[in-house]
Amino acid sequence: MSADPLKLAIAKTIRLKSIGFCIARLPQTERLFIGGSDFKVYEIDAGLEKPELIEFQGDGHQSYVMGSVVVGQQLITGGYDGQLIWWDLEQRRSVRTLAAHDRWIRKMVVSPDGKRIASVADDMLCKVWDVESGQLIHTLAGHKPETPHHFPSMLYAVAFSPDSQSIVTGDRTGHLVVWDAASGKSLAELEAPVMYTWDPKQRRHSIGGIRSVSFSADGQFVAAGGIGTIGNIDHLDGPSRVEIFNWRTQQRVHEISDPGYKGLVEQIVFPRQGNWFAFAGGDNGGFVSFYDASTGKLVHQLKMPMHVHGFVFNESEDTLYATGHDQVAVVTFKEAIPAPAAIPAEEPKPAS
Amino acid sequence: MLRQFCWMLMVMVVMHRCADFAELLSAELLPAETPVEQAIDHYIQLQLDTKQKQPASLADESTLIRRTTLDLAGRIATLSEAQAYVAATETDKRSKLIERLMASPDFAYHFRNSLEGLLSDGQRNSPGEWREYLLKAIREHRPWDQMFREMMTGNEEDVAIKPALTFLRSRARDLDQLTNDTSSLFFGVNVSCAKCHDHPLVDDWKQEHYFGMSSFFQRIYLTKTNLVAEKFSGEVKYKTTKGEEKLARIMFLTGTVVEPPAVAKTPEQIKEENDAVHRQTQDDKAGPPPKPDFSPRAKLVELALQADQNHFFARNAVNRIWALYFGRGLVHPLDQMHSANPSTHPELLDWLSRDLVAHQYDLQRLIRGIVSSQAYGRSSVWDSAGDPPGPEQFGLALVRPLSSRQYSLSLRLASLNPDTMTATSAPEWVNRRDEFERNSDDLANQFEVPGENFQISVDEALLFNNSARMWDEFVRDDGGMLIGSLKQKADQSAQIETAFWAILGRAAMPAERSACEDFLTQKAANPVLGLRQFVWSLLASPELRFNH
Amino acid sequence: MARNDLPNRNLSQHDVSRRGFLGSAALAGAASFAANMRVLDALQTPTLAAELKRQQKSVILLWLAGGASQLETWDPKPGRITGGPFRAISTDIPSVQISELLPKMAQRMKTTAIIRSLNTRNGDHGGGTILMETGRAKEAAVDYPDLGALIARELGRADSQVPDYVSLYSETEGRHKGGAGFLGARYAPMFLSDSMIPPNIRRLDSISETDHTDRAAFQRLLAKQFQDRHPRSVVSSHGMAYERVRGLMSSETLFDVSQEPQSARDFYGPTQFQEQCLIARRLVEAGVPFVKVARAWWDSHGQNFETHRELCADLDQGMSALLDDLGQRGLLENTLVLTFGEFGRTPQINPSLGRDHFANAWSASLSGCGIKGGAVYGKTDADGHTVVEGEAKAGDLFATIFSAVGIDPTKEYQVGARPIPIVDFGCKAIPEILA
Repeated sequence: MSADPLKLAIAKTIRLKSIGFCIARLPQTERLFIGGSDFKVYEIDAGLEKPELIEFQGDGHQSYVMGSVVVGQQLITGGYDGQLIWWDLEQRRSVRTLAAHDRWIRKMVVSPDGKRIASVADDMLCKVWDVESGQLIHTLAGHKPETPHHFPSMLYAVAFSPDSQSIVTGDRTGHLVVWDAASGKSLAELEAPVMYTWDPKQRRHSIGGIRSVSFSADGQFVAAGGIGTIGNIDHLDGPSRVEIFNWRTQQRVHEISDPGYKGLVEQIVFPRQGNWFAFAGGDNGGFVSFYDASTGKLVHQLKMPMHVHGFVFNESEDTLYATGHDQVAVVTFKEAIPAPAAIPAEEPKPAS
Repeated sequence: MLRQFCWMLMVMVVMHRCADFAELLSAELLPAETPVEQAIDHYIQLQLDTKQKQPASLADESTLIRRTTLDLAGRIATLSEAQAYVAATETDKRSKLIERLMASPDFAYHFRNSLEGLLSDGQRNSPGEWREYLLKAIREHRPWDQMFREMMTGNEEDVAIKPALTFLRSRARDLDQLTNDTSSLFFGVNVSCAKCHDHPLVDDWKQEHYFGMSSFFQRIYLTKTNLVAEKFSGEVKYKTTKGEEKLARIMFLTGTVVEPPAVAKTPEQIKEENDAVHRQTQDDKAGPPPKPDFSPRAKLVELALQADQNHFFARNAVNRIWALYFGRGLVHPLDQMHSANPSTHPELLDWLSRDLVAHQYDLQRLIRGIVSSQAYGRSSVWDSAGDPPGPEQFGLALVRPLSSRQYSLSLRLASLNPDTMTATSAPEWVNRRDEFERNSDDLANQFEVPGENFQISVDEALLFNNSARMWDEFVRDDGGMLIGSLKQKADQSAQIETAFWAILGRAAMPAERSACEDFLTQKAANPVLGLRQFVWSLLASPELRFNH
Repeated sequence: MARNDLPNRNLSQHDVSRRGFLGSAALAGAASFAANMRVLDALQTPTLAAELKRQQKSVILLWLAGGASQLETWDPKPGRITGGPFRAISTDIPSVQISELLPKMAQRMKTTAIIRSLNTRNGDHGGGTILMETGRAKEAAVDYPDLGALIARELGRADSQVPDYVSLYSETEGRHKGGAGFLGARYAPMFLSDSMIPPNIRRLDSISETDHTDRAAFQRLLAKQFQDRHPRSVVSSHGMAYERVRGLMSSETLFDVSQEPQSARDFYGPTQFQEQCLIARRLVEAGVPFVKVARAWWDSHGQNFETHRELCADLDQGMSALLDDLGQRGLLENTLVLTFGEFGRTPQINPSLGRDHFANAWSASLSGCGIKGGAVYGKTDADGHTVVEGEAKAGDLFATIFSAVGIDPTKEYQVGARPIPIVDFGCKAIPEILA
């Protein structure tokens, strides 16, 4: 075990030509696959001294590329054009294009067992697909199409549980649903309303929403990330925010609100091992933060050179590869992690 | 942008090296020792005679005390003030009235409000410390040239003077506004039309006059802590209509040019100076801003008050004060003092300007003279045969809308029980007046600030008609209020008489009295409500709305 | 210069609205109409055609306060790095595409023209607002009236029972009252700031209807004495303001959306802006010549796309319902509906996925009265950074608006000694988008 978040440091940054919204990595390599605001998908080998951007060819996306996953020798991406696209990694060409949603796909993820992908879009549906065949397996419907203030709602975040049995989704208004991946039935609903700021007077629109979700390594907890209450919603001028729930009891166990690093929490990742988790995001700048999973207390954090939209770990979980506004950054945190101080967990609070 | 034609005639009286202003004028004018009001009446009558016009008769006494009190105290006269004045038999009661009002606490408040309005050019909500500064300066009888000097070059470290810099502070981010407002409000010259091109008709009126004036202000900046400071260098560049780039000379309206001292500086010195200024704009702990040896704005003050250049400053002061009391200037519009727009009464303007300079810019002397004149006391009603004299002849008083604050104060005063308003000369009146002043703010903000082409807005009429505020605050019937007092009166005619005196400052005319009796009788089923409606109708009358 | 070209200069110099003039005459009946030689003269001049053209015309300005993004509305740049995620969609005009965030408006471009080439240079909220409200930059020396006051002055009726300039704002950021400037308070807006009902338009419950009218009559009676002795325009403005009170009070119901059948309310939609669009239609139908519906707050420095997803949906629904409703009632040919704000937004996207202030290449829309539907004027470069064709200033937009509703854009006002043209110097209407 060599990960030590106290040793957080930026090892490398690589310029992009566009905003990177999603990142995937080919196992055992530093080959990264990034989708971005120029509608394109790129490969970058971060291990090279002078990494180059290699553009994927074929029938590509027609809008922002918001999700990318690697399964075997394939890359699958999803975008605002409503399409899911399968790409051959070696040919770097698209091999299958699927009109998956009527509206913008905000995120797509792959199950840990590699068999399913789940996509969420502004049609407020989560769709579960067979990776191999591209067949639609379930359509998970339950998020309301409108906000309480009569505006179109948005469904931003989706994640599989480590055992691939459950799916969690989170929307604009702070509503979370945990689904049974096999049956497509709703298992639990959770609320994180602070993530949604409605300005009833000054500006008369909203900002925020749940932008990232994740299960803990043991599958007991669900973490949701976004931004806390904002005064002036012209800007991302609110504390970055994560709420952690015991989803079966529907109780909120931790509430992290960090006024030191403002902006949206765009991605949350729990390692397979280690009693911590990491999340990243930003406003005009960016950050990555590591928290103790038991206590919900800050372990360490790092100002990033850009607003981070997504990141992935390496196998040893001591390096993360992040993408975001015009950049890719490689962040390392190696060496022994000291045993966390024995701080008792917070009293569980009922979900509000 | 190239403007196709100029829509403002702008001609400068260029007097490069003329003799002393007073000297120049003395030959043709009435003797300097003539009382101010006599000089005014002499010149006003002279022109009426020339035009073969008769002036209106003098206003009746109740109109005169109302007008004078509104102009000197910023409020209507109370019932007891008005009745006492009309009843008084002394022959010098008018001058006693003027002396009493100018010595009263009201005078400083009202003149402060007038100056505040004048110097803010119609904008509301000036800072409290600025209002306090003006009030104190007026109470101390501070000369106008000194106030001008304080406004332009006051010391930020002197707590008493610092607020004077509000004039610059509120405009420091906008060089055009600074240039135009200073030029217009202190010198009566609107230079803005010369910004884009030379005057097409008058050879001596060039863009360099505009940019010359802005050069006095070009170096002014605000520090991070909002102090007014000046840079070590800085010049105004402008483009002529031919596209030629020119460097402006620092030039006063008279054409007199100020040459900045030629000081050789090393590049290091220049950098150091620039850095110091930059620090001031970025760092709120940078300490007091540096003071360059050469200060263009100090030069402006020096030039503007210099004996051979001060005619702009003096004439403008006279003209603007005159307009406060007569409703229009001796030169009109007030910001168009140039030879193509001559004064209707050039000798009077000259005489008053000379007098102002000779008496150390004592505005109160000028005001006393104005309100003591026959011309000021003319009726606003023309009931003679033939056409009335034109407004520019000052033979018939103009009807002037009350300022929003005069109106607010007067409404409040009129609606109170007149028995509680009997001691406006007592020492405790200062505090009471101060309280009135503060309480009038909010309602005053509901009224438009009168300007050129002023019209009463329908919002105002709706406010009177339908706001709970007007009804509940001004037309209440408790003992402290006028209606409370009317309720105690024995009969309708006493009620009507009291209400007319309290609100309109005069007795009701027979036709009015009978109309009021009819109304009150018609509303007899609910007499208190009837009285409230009656008082409301008087408060909403145009007669209260205007100074006439 | 234009002043001399005006055939009707004599009339326009009188402080009498010709529209009000004819309106009053019509009210007064045929006998007095025939007896009034000035009216007869007026009927025989070329003025009449212009006059009739202006009859009952109205303008509704949907003011996009804070600055809406041209790229997410009228000038999309799909596929460009500045273009954002949204697509351009086809419209009912084959050659025109707009952002997919306005799908309903895309089906109504036959009534609408777009200017894509505004270059107004001022990217500051305060300065930009004054510029786009008055059609010219702030000047220290002159207090210019805003568009609403100008339209009220030109299209309003002197004897109107309804307000002639209503500004619906509600309590939102960037609220700016605007004003009548040198035209005077007669043309100032009836400004709704914190309620859907104008302030002081409703009789107090504590005063009966009879008492209210009796009181007004008594006030008028007392006032007459003073007015007769002081025949001055400033004094008569007091009487005129009080005279208008009862009429305005009777227009209270115009502001009450509950007077509309539920189907009409559903047609517009439930948001405040959509309800205000419905009120705007009610006002225009009743003869109000200018209504401003300000929709705030588009200032999307962070999360531009989310903000526009919400606000464009609101705009698309409210505006398309308004155009349809006006059309069905036969009012659209006499009503000009505008969208613009103080500026547009930067093509470049900032790290908060926002767009910042940008005034160098942005768009406005004009629908209905006097407009060549489907026309697009001007062009920006591929990424939207600059205007490459048909650059238009604020004054050009204003001249176009005036032309569309039959107001001569070369008209001048006399302010003191100064003639002031109704639009800024050197600006002119854009004939390409005028019907």
